[in-house]
Amino acid sequence: MGAPAWASGVCAGIHAAGSRDVVYVPDNPLSHVLLELGEHYRDVRLVLATREEEAFGIAAGLHLGGRRPTVMLQSSGLGNSLNAITSLVLPYRIPMLMVVSMRGDAGEWNFAQVPMGRAIRSIFDAIGVPHATVASPDAAADVVRRAATTAFETHVAGACLLARQVTTS
Amino acid sequence: MTRLEATRIVVEAAGDAPIVASLGHPAYDLFLAGDRPQNFYTWGAMGVASSIGLGLALARPDMRVFVVDGDGSLLMNLGSLATIGMLQPPNLVLVVMDNQEFATTGGQPTPTAHGADLEAAARAMRIRPTATVRTEDELRARLRDARAIVAKVAGSAPPAKPPLDCVFIKNRFMAAIQS
Repeated sequence: MGAPAWASGVCAGIHAAGSRDVVYVPDNPLSHVLLELGEHYRDVRLVLATREEEAFGIAAGLHLGGRRPTVMLQSSGLGNSLNAITSLVLPYRIPMLMVVSMRGDAGEWNFAQVPMGRAIRSIFDAIGVPHATVASPDAAADVVRRAATTAFETHVAGACLLARQVTTS
Repeated sequence: MTRLEATRIVVEAAGDAPIVASLGHPAYDLFLAGDRPQNFYTWGAMGVASSIGLGLALARPDMRVFVVDGDGSLLMNLGSLATIGMLQPPNLVLVVMDNQEFATTGGQPTPTAHGADLEAAARAMRIRPTATVRTEDELRARLRDARAIVAKVAGSAPPAKPPLDCVFIKNRFMAAIQS
């Protein structure tokens, strides 16, 4: 059993944009990405963080050291991250790719996940983080690579949202 | 030992190595102790200084990376100790200026004023060696070997502030540490 197509695409997009460091707080769908990175992308360093805000701090330090970091998190974790994003990542223009596994969108069963999932695009718009949504497995590699390239070249962090209709069956 | 005196010793020990400072008084003191391009002053993201230092230490294993944190700010991100203890970066030196209060916001006591022990927390998360220091000589000595140092310091009102331009701080810092 290989990785699902969307997960292979996410990994390919991250790698094609030159990111070799993925700082993450895991969630269920992202486990496919983590497995695929671990098996087929040996040059990618995986760094587990205890909390999303910490992950953004680690990613900022990686950039200061010349790397192109990716942060992977569940949409609920954005709430844990906003202070680091708005008072470190954005004002210092620290580029990074955010790969966000969506909760609370179509197919969600847990209402506790819904308010943040519903708000996440408005929050990104309000704080000035460009975002794109991976809406089909085939699009994953291209959407992720483009978002990451724009982030790293323009020095503005950008996000890719992985819709639940793609990451869950 | 005041926080400013302790910060001067960290700057002296760092040589050309980078120093990441937590926002507020730790960053103000670092600016006063010795403004240099290798100083990364944060103006926000309270609690995250040790995480920035960790990321930098991972990216640049060829250089030592110093972090000047506060007790209040480290308490906001104690999970960072677990991550540092898990990864054990040999080049990261975390110095916690423990004045037992939130000095920048008016001196409210932190849990360390009631006995919370941040060195014990670092040890519990497998960071080694660790130290608690109270004098300039102790700090100077332990900066040679310890990975996490809690410096018990008296406050010192900092009269100077670092540059406010975040992008300037970052670009100057990155140019200075380029390999």
